[in-house]
Amino acid sequence: MAEIHSLPLDGDNDTLLFEKLQEHVLAHYPNPERKGCPDPAVLKSLIETPGEVTLAALNDLHIFKCAECTRMLMELKQQKKHKASE
Amino acid sequence: MVEMQLPTPSELCWNAKFPPEQEWIEQTIHVAVVNVWRRAHHVAHSQLGNDSLVQEIMEIAIEGAVCRLQTDSPQGPEYVASLLERLFLQEVRRRRKANNRLVYLGSNQELLTGSAQNPHTLVDSAIDLDRILRGIPPDVRIALLLRYSRSRWSEVAAVLGTSEAAIRLRCKRALDRIRQKLEGQIHDN
Repeated sequence: MAEIHSLPLDGDNDTLLFEKLQEHVLAHYPNPERKGCPDPAVLKSLIETPGEVTLAALNDLHIFKCAECTRMLMELKQQKKHKASE
Repeated sequence: MVEMQLPTPSELCWNAKFPPEQEWIEQTIHVAVVNVWRRAHHVAHSQLGNDSLVQEIMEIAIEGAVCRLQTDSPQGPEYVASLLERLFLQEVRRRRKANNRLVYLGSNQELLTGSAQNPHTLVDSAIDLDRILRGIPPDVRIALLLRYSRSRWSEVAAVLGTSEAAIRLRCKRALDRIRQKLEGQIHDN
């Protein structure tokens, strides 16, 4: 049987784990009809003012099972980075 | 992100050999390509970091779909779109793994016994996050969602009014479970 080195050990830094999780959600949880998605403003808030967001507004852990929300979060984060670097 | 322009279905189907006695296959494939393209583009971009491959991968998916459909009774566009999308995702996953995401140590024969010969498992192997995260307390849920949206642990701690070390410790068990499942999924495939 082939020996496989899979997820690299990331030690204290779990960023890589969350990246893998995002990839997993993007690949396995398409939601083109956006069923159960929180309002885009809530997703924006999660990035911009996370202290103001509630679990209820996010529809609990919905984002972990939604490629569309995940994609939007990634785009919002990118936008925030761009803004910060300007 | 700039949306890649959709080539015509005929352009994408140039390599497919449609059986002349089963016209429905060509017709439904053309409809399916249009319906699947947008998502295919997003997946190729996010998974491979390169959406220039989307056309090539779609052509492979189309060939695979035509082969499968030849043994079927006539199917509707929804079924064909679903099949095409599945085959597209399988090819994306195969390429992503081939791009050094996994390092296989062993013979070529060993490599051939891996996921490439059984691509069905790739699309059916979503880890059950509901089960993994069932029962975790609200502060941990919020912390995981914030980390997932790329907040730093220091920011997560500030939002929750606790120390970074404390919230990391509270999240450790859930993170270990997710890590274990993701690793397991890769090994299973």
